[in-house]
Amino acid sequence: MSTQLIEAYLDGSITAPEMQQLNALLLADADARREYAEILNVDSALAAMAAGWTKNEAPVIRQTKWRPASPRWIAAAASVALLLGGWWWQDSRRAFATVEKAAGVVEMADGSALRGESHEIKGGSVALVTARGARIVIEAPAAFHFESAQRLHMKRGRLAADVPPAAKGFTVITPTGDAVDLGTRFGVDVPSSGAAEVHVFQGEVIAKASGAPSNQSLRTGDAVSFDQGASTSRELRSSAFIQPDEMPGLTAGLAAGQRGQSDAALAKLKSDPALIALLDFESADELPGVYRRVQGRWPGSHAPEFVHVGDHLKLDVGGDHDWPKLTLAAWVRLDRLGAPYQSLLHTDGWDSSNPGQAHWMVTHHATMRLALRANTLAPGSGQQYEADSLTPVLPEQGRWVHLASVYDSQARTVRFYLNGRFDKEVRFQVAHPARLGPAQIGNWNRNDRKLSGRVDELLLLGRAMTDDEIRALHAAGNPYR
Amino acid sequence: MSPAETERHHRFLRSFTAHEPAIRAHVRRLVPTRADADDVMQEISVVLWEKFDSFRDGADFKAWAFGVARFEVLAWLRDRGRDRLVLDEEVITKIADETTADEPRLERQREALEHCMKKVPSDQRELLMQAYQPESRIQEVAQGSGRTVAGFYQWLHRMRKLLLECIRRALTQEVAS
Repeated sequence: MSTQLIEAYLDGSITAPEMQQLNALLLADADARREYAEILNVDSALAAMAAGWTKNEAPVIRQTKWRPASPRWIAAAASVALLLGGWWWQDSRRAFATVEKAAGVVEMADGSALRGESHEIKGGSVALVTARGARIVIEAPAAFHFESAQRLHMKRGRLAADVPPAAKGFTVITPTGDAVDLGTRFGVDVPSSGAAEVHVFQGEVIAKASGAPSNQSLRTGDAVSFDQGASTSRELRSSAFIQPDEMPGLTAGLAAGQRGQSDAALAKLKSDPALIALLDFESADELPGVYRRVQGRWPGSHAPEFVHVGDHLKLDVGGDHDWPKLTLAAWVRLDRLGAPYQSLLHTDGWDSSNPGQAHWMVTHHATMRLALRANTLAPGSGQQYEADSLTPVLPEQGRWVHLASVYDSQARTVRFYLNGRFDKEVRFQVAHPARLGPAQIGNWNRNDRKLSGRVDELLLLGRAMTDDEIRALHAAGNPYR
Repeated sequence: MSPAETERHHRFLRSFTAHEPAIRAHVRRLVPTRADADDVMQEISVVLWEKFDSFRDGADFKAWAFGVARFEVLAWLRDRGRDRLVLDEEVITKIADETTADEPRLERQREALEHCMKKVPSDQRELLMQAYQPESRIQEVAQGSGRTVAGFYQWLHRMRKLLLECIRRALTQEVAS
């Protein structure tokens, strides 16, 4: 009975006597009111969903009706319109976002329109442009859906957003908190386990941890993690996010078949008789340590990521004998450098009784360093203390860079390479054969070292690679074009 | 604009944007049609902004907005609902009170719609979305689907009923899990 009256009211087909009946019923009966509220609630939700829906075939773009109501409304309209960025003019039939570029993402195609449906991507990165012009890159593994062009739900994954004034108010909703953008560039990381984080590269973002009593304003360089209903400050992880301007290079690299080249080069290295270790982090048995397993340079590939001070990965290779010649190389993606040293490889046996123990790192000057215990520099080597490279290793912060150091105790030299290019040679007066053994990547127990970022394809080779070999190593493994 | 004004704009913007769907749904429960809800929403957004000074930071924006919305709905009904078939003020007050208290559950119900829509065959989903377009004409949609208008309304009732049942089930399971 009540349902029929409610439906007639919804249709607009209700008669005056029926309306009287409905009013009387709703006034007297709490259950009827509840039923009424729930049906109207479904009606609202359907309307909200339809506002973001586009007919699959032949989308029709229509102008939203403009309905001025009163002079006061018109007077105030300008200020509110400006303030709200005109969100209600949004054409109701347009997609919330469009896929600009899907790099290695098999689940999505370039140019496809995203509306309210859920998406899950297992590998790669996807660049989107919202209907309001916000540019977004989401890195796999990720699960997300748009609620509107201005509201994006991130269940899992990593996102960098570049939000123009027209899309001010763009909001990312995570399971543990929300980020509301006020015209800026920012990143959101929702790991598969652990707290979501918001990082502000530029501008201002309002962060609200779920259940927190108040919002927090974040400015350029600020970052927080949403932890159990509160937001806690943390260090900015600039390189954790693939930015929109990184996408063209990554896409071109994939299109050029770089991944195949890289695989071929790795296969060749694996049969090199001088190979000590080649960590591509693809094997199912994980290396011991504390780190996150995230996407590497290729769609769906893996790399360890070090996020917190003390995160590390343990390795024990090459301890059986000395290495007169040693090549160390790795692809890294490093965050802003703040701490004195970012550890690429620190052997545990660093001790005066162990001459030649190797420590490979990035210094606070963002140069590479290869320290060998008890080695001394040649006079006039231009260095004061340790062998350091010349060029800062982060010409473009937050991108993959290839680092290599080639040590030769017989020639008494170390040669540094950055992205395949020779950078500098440092000469030693005393040069011990290099020693390895138990070591850590990302930290060193004896002193706090850290590394904030990802490491991929770490190579230890018991011979000195030539300039050409290093160049080829970089060229084959380069994810960009 | 002074920095303080900008900051005030920002505060309003983020609160309003965050709660707009809930406020709209609240208004929808109190007026006869979706077009009426659109009308009242425009008025409400202006009033909220005008009165934002009186809103104490840290207070519950949604509850405050619901209060403003109820007042505006009643004013709207007195003004424009005069010769229409509308709910009595007394009923509206009751429903507004009860649904304000019940909003967390109603919000979960709205969220669950997405999940339930996935179970609707795609051609029917398409038809539902067509019917709910902001400016759709039911007559045309009905005709396009090969139904009479009355038959189409019947179908809409059935769909809403099925969806509501699915939503209730989904929420029960949510509580149980």
